[in-house]
Amino acid sequence: MGYYDIDDILADGTRFPCRFNYEIPGLGYLEGNTGRPISKHSKLELPLWMVHLLAVVGAESGEDSGAEEPLPFVELLPPELFAPRVLNAIKSGAASLDLHSISPHFYTLAERWATLFSDKDLSQVLKDMLLERGQEINNYAVSVSLFSHRGQTNDSAVFLQTLDEFEKSVYRDTNVNCKEMKKWLALK
Amino acid sequence: MYGDLANKLILEAKRTQQLSQAGFTKQQLPTYQDEIVRGILKEVGSLKKNVDYLREQQLANQDNKVAQCQYVVAMLSMERNKRCLLAYQKMRSEILDSMIWDNNGMEFSSSVSTHPNTPSFDSSVLSHPEQEYLKEYAQLLTEMKSGELSEIDLTGTLDPPSDVFIDVRVLKDAGQIETEYGVFNLIKDSQFFVRQSDVERLIQQGYLQKI
Repeated sequence: MGYYDIDDILADGTRFPCRFNYEIPGLGYLEGNTGRPISKHSKLELPLWMVHLLAVVGAESGEDSGAEEPLPFVELLPPELFAPRVLNAIKSGAASLDLHSISPHFYTLAERWATLFSDKDLSQVLKDMLLERGQEINNYAVSVSLFSHRGQTNDSAVFLQTLDEFEKSVYRDTNVNCKEMKKWLALK
Repeated sequence: MYGDLANKLILEAKRTQQLSQAGFTKQQLPTYQDEIVRGILKEVGSLKKNVDYLREQQLANQDNKVAQCQYVVAMLSMERNKRCLLAYQKMRSEILDSMIWDNNGMEFSSSVSTHPNTPSFDSSVLSHPEQEYLKEYAQLLTEMKSGELSEIDLTGTLDPPSDVFIDVRVLKDAGQIETEYGVFNLIKDSQFFVRQSDVERLIQQGYLQKI
Protein backbone atom coordinates (compact mmCIF):
# COMPACT_ATOMS: atom_id res chain seq x y z
CA MET A 1 0.00 0.00 0.00
CA GLY A 2 1.27 3.40 -0.84
CA TYR A 3 1.38 5.91 -3.62
CA TYR A 4 4.27 4.23 -5.41
CA ASP A 5 3.19 0.63 -4.82
CA ILE A 6 3.05 -1.08 -8.19
CA ASP A 7 0.68 -3.82 -7.08
CA ASP A 8 -1.67 -1.26 -5.63
CA ILE A 9 -1.66 0.65 -8.89
CA LEU A 10 -2.36 -2.52 -10.84
CA ALA A 11 -5.23 -3.39 -8.54
CA ASP A 12 -6.58 0.11 -9.05
CA GLY A 13 -6.77 -0.55 -12.76
CA THR A 14 -9.20 -3.44 -12.43
CA ARG A 15 -12.46 -2.80 -14.18
CA PHE A 16 -15.76 -2.95 -12.36
CA PRO A 17 -19.22 -2.93 -13.89
CA CYS A 18 -21.21 0.14 -13.09
CA ARG A 19 -24.27 2.11 -14.18
CA PHE A 20 -24.60 5.84 -14.71
CA ASN A 21 -27.33 7.58 -12.76
CA TYR A 22 -27.31 10.78 -14.79
CA GLU A 23 -26.98 11.83 -18.33
CA ILE A 24 -23.59 13.44 -18.45
CA PRO A 25 -22.42 15.48 -21.42
CA GLY A 26 -19.03 14.90 -22.96
CA LEU A 27 -18.33 11.51 -21.42
CA GLY A 28 -19.38 9.49 -24.44
CA TYR A 29 -15.79 8.49 -25.09
CA LEU A 30 -16.03 6.05 -22.22
CA GLU A 31 -18.60 4.13 -24.23
CA GLY A 32 -16.78 4.50 -27.49
CA ASN A 33 -18.70 7.33 -29.13
CA THR A 34 -16.63 10.43 -28.63
CA GLY A 35 -18.28 13.80 -28.36
CA ARG A 36 -21.69 12.42 -27.39
CA PRO A 37 -23.15 12.54 -23.90
CA ILE A 38 -23.30 9.35 -21.93
CA SER A 39 -26.88 8.39 -21.37
CA LYS A 40 -28.62 7.67 -18.11
CA HIS A 41 -28.66 4.01 -17.04
CA SER A 42 -25.98 2.98 -19.49
CA LYS A 43 -23.91 0.13 -18.14
CA LEU A 44 -20.20 -0.20 -18.71
CA GLU A 45 -17.01 -1.40 -17.08
CA LEU A 46 -14.75 1.28 -15.72
CA PRO A 47 -11.45 1.03 -13.86
CA LEU A 48 -11.56 1.38 -10.11
CA TRP A 49 -9.47 4.54 -10.01
CA MET A 50 -12.19 6.29 -11.95
CA VAL A 51 -15.30 4.98 -10.27
CA HIS A 52 -14.26 4.98 -6.63
CA LEU A 53 -14.81 8.72 -6.45
CA LEU A 54 -17.75 8.86 -8.81
CA ALA A 55 -19.57 6.24 -6.77
CA VAL A 56 -19.33 8.37 -3.65
CA VAL A 57 -19.73 11.91 -4.91
CA GLY A 58 -23.10 12.83 -6.30
CA ALA A 59 -25.27 15.66 -7.42
CA GLU A 60 -28.50 16.74 -5.85
CA SER A 61 -31.28 15.71 -8.12
CA GLY A 62 -33.91 18.10 -6.81
CA GLU A 63 -33.90 21.21 -4.64
CA ASP A 64 -36.03 19.80 -1.85
CA SER A 65 -34.35 16.49 -1.34
CA GLY A 66 -31.88 17.93 1.13
CA ALA A 67 -32.51 15.28 3.75
CA GLU A 68 -31.84 12.38 1.42
CA GLU A 69 -28.38 11.42 0.41
CA PRO A 70 -27.55 12.68 -3.06
CA LEU A 71 -27.57 10.01 -5.69
CA PRO A 72 -23.99 9.28 -6.77
CA PHE A 73 -22.91 9.79 -10.38
CA VAL A 74 -22.46 6.10 -10.96
CA GLU A 75 -23.68 3.07 -9.15
CA LEU A 76 -21.35 0.14 -8.76
CA LEU A 77 -23.01 -3.13 -9.65
CA PRO A 78 -22.10 -6.28 -7.76
CA PRO A 79 -19.03 -7.60 -9.59
CA GLU A 80 -18.27 -11.16 -10.61
CA LEU A 81 -15.39 -11.06 -8.16
CA PHE A 82 -17.56 -11.07 -5.06
CA ALA A 83 -20.47 -13.06 -6.40
CA PRO A 84 -22.04 -15.49 -3.93
CA ARG A 85 -20.59 -18.32 -6.00
CA VAL A 86 -17.04 -17.13 -5.28
CA LEU A 87 -17.70 -16.40 -1.63
CA ASN A 88 -19.20 -19.86 -1.15
CA ALA A 89 -16.17 -21.42 -2.76
CA ILE A 90 -13.96 -19.52 -0.33
CA LYS A 91 -16.04 -20.58 2.64
CA SER A 92 -16.06 -24.21 1.67
CA GLY A 93 -12.35 -24.64 1.11
CA ALA A 94 -10.16 -21.59 1.22
CA ALA A 95 -6.89 -23.48 1.34
CA SER A 96 -7.33 -25.32 -1.92
CA LEU A 97 -8.66 -22.40 -3.88
CA ASP A 98 -6.90 -21.03 -6.94
CA LEU A 99 -7.14 -17.41 -5.89
CA HIS A 100 -4.83 -16.16 -8.60
CA SER A 101 -7.24 -17.23 -11.28
CA ILE A 102 -10.06 -15.33 -9.61
CA SER A 103 -8.03 -12.16 -9.42
CA PRO A 104 -4.29 -11.57 -8.91
CA HIS A 105 -5.16 -8.73 -6.55
CA PHE A 106 -8.06 -10.27 -4.72
CA TYR A 107 -7.22 -9.06 -1.22
CA THR A 108 -6.58 -5.47 -2.22
CA LEU A 109 -9.78 -5.27 -4.21
CA ALA A 110 -11.85 -6.93 -1.53
CA GLU A 111 -10.43 -4.54 1.01
CA ARG A 112 -11.42 -1.57 -1.14
CA TRP A 113 -14.85 -2.98 -1.72
CA ALA A 114 -15.45 -3.65 1.94
CA THR A 115 -14.33 -0.13 2.84
CA LEU A 116 -16.50 1.46 0.19
CA PHE A 117 -19.66 -0.31 1.26
CA SER A 118 -18.88 -1.18 4.89
CA ASP A 119 -19.45 -4.78 3.93
CA LYS A 120 -19.05 -6.69 7.18
CA ASP A 121 -19.78 -10.11 5.74
CA LEU A 122 -17.13 -9.76 3.10
CA SER A 123 -14.48 -8.68 5.57
CA GLN A 124 -15.34 -11.61 7.82
CA VAL A 125 -14.94 -14.00 4.90
CA LEU A 126 -11.62 -12.34 4.09
CA LYS A 127 -10.34 -12.69 7.63
CA ASP A 128 -11.21 -16.38 7.77
CA MET A 129 -9.67 -16.95 4.39
CA LEU A 130 -6.43 -15.23 5.32
CA LEU A 131 -6.18 -17.30 8.48
CA GLU A 132 -6.75 -20.57 6.70
CA ARG A 133 -4.57 -19.85 3.72
CA GLY A 134 -1.91 -18.24 5.88
CA GLN A 135 -1.27 -21.54 7.63
CA GLU A 136 -0.92 -23.29 4.31
CA ILE A 137 1.46 -20.62 3.02
CA ASN A 138 3.53 -20.96 6.14
CA ASN A 139 3.71 -24.74 5.69
CA TYR A 140 5.09 -24.41 2.21
CA ALA A 141 7.42 -21.53 2.99
CA VAL A 142 9.00 -23.28 5.97
CA SER A 143 9.61 -26.60 4.29
CA VAL A 144 12.65 -25.56 2.31
CA SER A 145 16.01 -27.01 2.97
CA LEU A 146 18.88 -24.72 3.81
CA PHE A 147 21.26 -25.99 1.19
CA SER A 148 19.23 -26.15 -1.97
CA HIS A 149 19.66 -22.95 -3.88
CA ARG A 150 16.09 -22.16 -4.74
CA GLY A 151 14.24 -24.49 -2.45
CA GLN A 152 11.30 -25.18 -4.67
CA THR A 153 9.91 -28.55 -5.38
CA ASN A 154 7.44 -29.04 -8.13
CA ASP A 155 4.71 -29.15 -5.56
CA SER A 156 5.30 -25.76 -4.07
CA ALA A 157 5.76 -24.21 -7.51
CA VAL A 158 2.24 -25.27 -8.34
CA PHE A 159 1.00 -23.98 -5.02
CA LEU A 160 2.67 -20.62 -5.60
CA GLN A 161 0.72 -20.19 -8.81
CA THR A 162 -2.51 -20.16 -6.89
CA LEU A 163 -1.54 -17.27 -4.63
CA ASP A 164 -2.53 -13.70 -5.22
CA GLU A 165 0.12 -10.95 -5.14
CA PHE A 166 -0.34 -10.14 -1.49
CA GLU A 167 0.00 -13.77 -0.50
CA LYS A 168 3.08 -14.10 -2.64
CA SER A 169 4.77 -11.36 -0.70
CA VAL A 170 3.78 -13.10 2.53
CA TYR A 171 5.29 -16.31 1.19
CA ARG A 172 8.49 -14.56 0.18
CA ASP A 173 8.96 -12.91 3.54
CA THR A 174 8.31 -16.11 5.44
CA ASN A 175 10.67 -18.02 3.21
CA VAL A 176 13.52 -15.53 3.59
CA ASN A 177 13.10 -15.23 7.33
CA CYS A 178 12.95 -18.94 7.78
CA LYS A 179 16.15 -19.42 5.80
CA GLU A 180 17.97 -16.76 7.79
CA MET A 181 16.80 -18.34 11.01
CA LYS A 182 18.06 -21.76 9.98
CA LYS A 183 21.36 -20.29 8.90
CA TRP A 184 21.79 -18.58 12.23
CA LEU A 185 20.95 -21.73 14.15
CA ALA A 186 23.41 -23.72 12.05
CA LEU A 187 26.20 -21.28 12.84
CA LYS A 188 25.74 -21.52 16.57
CA MET B 1 -9.37 5.28 -23.40
CA TYR B 2 -7.43 7.50 -21.06
CA GLY B 3 -5.14 5.58 -18.76
CA ASP B 4 -4.61 2.57 -21.01
CA LEU B 5 -1.06 3.57 -21.88
CA ALA B 6 -0.28 4.16 -18.24
CA ASN B 7 -1.51 0.67 -17.48
CA LYS B 8 0.91 -0.72 -20.03
CA LEU B 9 3.73 1.14 -18.36
CA ILE B 10 2.82 -0.25 -14.98
CA LEU B 11 2.72 -3.79 -16.34
CA GLU B 12 6.23 -3.19 -17.62
CA ALA B 13 7.23 -1.91 -14.19
CA LYS B 14 5.80 -5.02 -12.59
CA ARG B 15 7.85 -7.23 -14.89
CA THR B 16 11.00 -5.29 -14.06
CA GLN B 17 10.27 -5.60 -10.38
CA GLN B 18 9.79 -9.34 -10.64
CA LEU B 19 13.05 -9.70 -12.54
CA SER B 20 15.03 -7.82 -9.96
CA GLN B 21 13.35 -9.73 -7.14
CA ALA B 22 14.30 -13.00 -8.72
CA GLY B 23 17.81 -11.65 -8.50
CA PHE B 24 19.31 -12.95 -11.67
CA THR B 25 19.35 -9.74 -13.64
CA LYS B 26 20.43 -7.37 -10.97
CA GLN B 27 22.78 -5.65 -13.35
CA GLN B 28 20.43 -5.46 -16.25
CA LEU B 29 17.57 -3.06 -16.32
CA PRO B 30 15.07 -3.38 -19.15
CA THR B 31 15.15 -0.56 -21.66
CA TYR B 32 13.49 2.68 -20.70
CA GLN B 33 10.04 2.83 -22.27
CA ASP B 34 10.57 6.14 -23.93
CA GLU B 35 7.74 5.77 -26.39
CA ILE B 36 5.08 4.91 -23.81
CA VAL B 37 6.20 7.67 -21.48
CA ARG B 38 6.03 10.17 -24.29
CA GLY B 39 2.57 8.90 -25.24
CA ILE B 40 1.34 9.38 -21.67
CA LEU B 41 2.74 12.87 -21.52
CA LYS B 42 0.91 13.72 -24.71
CA GLU B 43 -2.29 12.34 -23.22
CA VAL B 44 -1.83 14.47 -20.12
CA GLY B 45 -1.29 17.48 -22.34
CA SER B 46 -4.59 17.01 -24.12
CA LEU B 47 -6.36 16.32 -20.84
CA LYS B 48 -4.98 19.57 -19.52
CA LYS B 49 -6.47 21.43 -22.44
CA ASN B 50 -9.83 19.80 -21.77
CA VAL B 51 -9.68 20.66 -18.11
CA ASP B 52 -8.84 24.30 -18.78
CA TYR B 53 -11.74 24.58 -21.15
CA LEU B 54 -14.15 22.86 -18.77
CA ARG B 55 -13.12 25.06 -15.90
CA GLU B 56 -13.97 28.17 -17.84
CA GLN B 57 -17.34 26.75 -18.63
CA GLN B 58 -17.93 25.82 -15.04
CA LEU B 59 -17.44 29.34 -13.84
CA ALA B 60 -20.48 30.22 -15.88
CA ASN B 61 -22.86 27.74 -14.28
CA GLN B 62 -21.54 26.76 -10.90
CA ASP B 63 -24.44 24.88 -9.43
CA ASN B 64 -24.74 22.35 -12.18
CA LYS B 65 -23.06 19.39 -10.52
CA VAL B 66 -23.71 17.07 -13.43
CA ALA B 67 -21.60 19.21 -15.71
CA GLN B 68 -18.80 19.00 -13.19
CA CYS B 69 -18.63 15.26 -13.55
CA GLN B 70 -16.84 15.57 -16.85
CA TYR B 71 -14.28 17.79 -15.19
CA VAL B 72 -13.79 15.33 -12.36
CA VAL B 73 -13.26 12.43 -14.75
CA ALA B 74 -10.60 14.37 -16.66
CA MET B 75 -8.85 15.28 -13.41
CA LEU B 76 -8.94 11.68 -12.23
CA SER B 77 -7.37 10.52 -15.48
CA MET B 78 -4.59 13.04 -15.07
CA GLU B 79 -3.97 11.96 -11.49
CA ARG B 80 -3.84 8.35 -12.56
CA ASN B 81 -1.32 9.07 -15.30
CA LYS B 82 0.82 11.04 -12.91
CA ARG B 83 0.82 8.26 -10.35
CA CYS B 84 1.81 5.65 -12.94
CA LEU B 85 4.65 7.75 -14.31
CA LEU B 86 6.02 8.53 -10.87
CA ALA B 87 5.82 4.93 -9.73
CA TYR B 88 7.62 3.71 -12.84
CA GLN B 89 10.39 6.22 -12.39
CA LYS B 90 10.74 5.55 -8.69
CA MET B 91 11.02 1.83 -9.19
CA ARG B 92 13.81 2.31 -11.72
CA SER B 93 15.73 4.79 -9.64
CA GLU B 94 15.56 2.45 -6.66
CA ILE B 95 17.14 -0.30 -8.72
CA LEU B 96 19.81 2.13 -9.87
CA ASP B 97 20.54 3.12 -6.28
CA SER B 98 20.99 -0.44 -5.17
CA MET B 99 23.24 -1.13 -8.16
CA ILE B 100 25.53 1.68 -7.12
CA TRP B 101 25.69 0.50 -3.54
CA ASP B 102 26.35 -3.07 -4.57
CA ASN B 103 29.15 -2.07 -6.85
CA ASN B 104 30.90 0.24 -4.51
CA GLY B 105 30.11 3.44 -6.35
CA MET B 106 31.16 2.05 -9.65
CA GLU B 107 32.18 4.44 -12.32
CA PHE B 108 30.42 3.53 -15.48
CA SER B 109 32.44 5.58 -17.84
CA SER B 110 35.87 4.42 -16.74
CA SER B 111 37.44 1.09 -17.51
CA VAL B 112 36.87 -0.61 -14.15
CA SER B 113 34.33 -2.85 -15.76
CA THR B 114 37.02 -5.17 -17.01
CA HIS B 115 36.88 -7.40 -13.96
CA PRO B 116 34.24 -10.10 -13.68
CA ASN B 117 32.29 -8.75 -10.70
CA THR B 118 30.97 -5.80 -12.66
CA PRO B 119 29.59 -7.02 -15.92
CA SER B 120 29.78 -4.22 -18.43
CA PHE B 121 26.77 -2.03 -17.91
CA ASP B 122 24.97 -0.91 -20.98
CA SER B 123 23.94 2.65 -20.34
CA SER B 124 21.79 2.80 -23.45
CA VAL B 125 18.92 1.20 -21.52
CA LEU B 126 18.67 4.35 -19.43
CA SER B 127 16.99 7.57 -20.39
CA HIS B 128 19.16 10.64 -20.50
CA PRO B 129 18.04 12.04 -17.13
CA GLU B 130 18.60 8.61 -15.62
CA GLN B 131 22.19 8.58 -16.81
CA GLU B 132 22.72 11.96 -15.20
CA TYR B 133 21.09 10.71 -12.03
CA LEU B 134 23.30 7.66 -11.91
CA LYS B 135 26.43 9.71 -12.37
CA GLU B 136 25.52 12.22 -9.73
CA TYR B 137 24.37 9.62 -7.24
CA ALA B 138 27.65 7.75 -7.62
CA GLN B 139 29.47 11.00 -7.07
CA LEU B 140 27.46 11.74 -3.95
CA LEU B 141 28.31 8.34 -2.57
CA THR B 142 32.02 8.84 -3.25
CA GLU B 143 31.91 12.24 -1.62
CA MET B 144 30.19 10.87 1.44
CA LYS B 145 32.70 8.09 1.78
CA SER B 146 35.69 10.34 1.42
CA GLY B 147 34.26 13.10 3.58
CA GLU B 148 33.29 12.83 7.22
CA LEU B 149 32.66 9.13 7.03
CA SER B 150 36.03 8.15 5.63
CA GLU B 151 36.78 6.15 8.78
CA ILE B 152 34.06 3.64 8.03
CA ASP B 153 33.93 1.43 4.99
CA LEU B 154 30.26 1.81 4.20
CA THR B 155 30.23 -0.58 1.30
CA GLY B 156 32.37 -3.22 3.00
CA THR B 157 31.11 -6.69 3.70
CA LEU B 158 28.75 -7.14 6.63
CA ASP B 159 30.01 -10.60 7.55
CA PRO B 160 32.38 -10.48 10.50
CA PRO B 161 35.84 -11.83 9.62
CA SER B 162 36.52 -15.32 10.90
CA ASP B 163 40.30 -15.01 10.93
CA VAL B 164 42.80 -12.22 10.92
CA PHE B 165 44.92 -13.91 8.29
CA ILE B 166 43.56 -15.71 5.28
CA ASP B 167 44.80 -17.60 2.26
CA VAL B 168 44.10 -15.93 -1.03
CA ARG B 169 44.64 -16.94 -4.60
CA VAL B 170 45.33 -14.38 -7.28
CA LEU B 171 42.88 -14.49 -10.16
CA LYS B 172 44.35 -11.69 -12.25
CA ASP B 173 47.63 -9.86 -12.41
CA ALA B 174 47.42 -6.83 -10.19
CA GLY B 175 51.01 -5.69 -9.80
CA GLN B 176 52.66 -5.07 -6.46
CA ILE B 177 50.95 -4.21 -3.23
CA GLU B 178 52.63 -3.07 -0.08
CA THR B 179 51.41 -4.09 3.34
CA GLU B 180 52.80 -3.93 6.86
CA TYR B 181 54.17 -7.40 6.38
CA GLY B 182 56.09 -6.71 3.24
CA VAL B 183 55.55 -6.43 -0.45
CA PHE B 184 53.51 -8.94 -2.44
CA ASN B 185 53.76 -9.32 -6.13
CA LEU B 186 50.34 -10.40 -7.32
CA ILE B 187 50.85 -12.70 -10.27
CA LYS B 188 48.02 -14.83 -11.60
CA ASP B 189 47.53 -18.21 -9.90
CA SER B 190 49.91 -17.56 -7.05
CA GLN B 191 48.83 -17.92 -3.43
CA PHE B 192 49.48 -15.79 -0.38
CA PHE B 193 48.83 -15.82 3.34
CA VAL B 194 47.89 -12.25 4.15
CA ARG B 195 46.00 -10.12 6.61
CA GLN B 196 42.36 -9.96 5.61
CA SER B 197 41.89 -6.26 6.12
CA ASP B 198 44.73 -5.52 3.70
CA VAL B 199 43.22 -7.34 0.78
CA GLU B 200 39.52 -6.87 1.41
CA ARG B 201 39.15 -4.36 -1.39
CA LEU B 202 41.03 -6.52 -3.86
CA ILE B 203 38.75 -9.46 -3.11
CA GLN B 204 35.73 -7.27 -3.69
CA GLN B 205 37.11 -6.08 -6.97
CA GLY B 206 37.68 -9.62 -8.10
CA TYR B 207 41.46 -9.70 -8.21
CA LEU B 208 41.79 -12.18 -5.38
CA GLN B 209 39.81 -15.16 -4.21
CA LYS B 210 39.60 -16.35 -0.64
CA ILE B 211 40.34 -20.02 -0.12
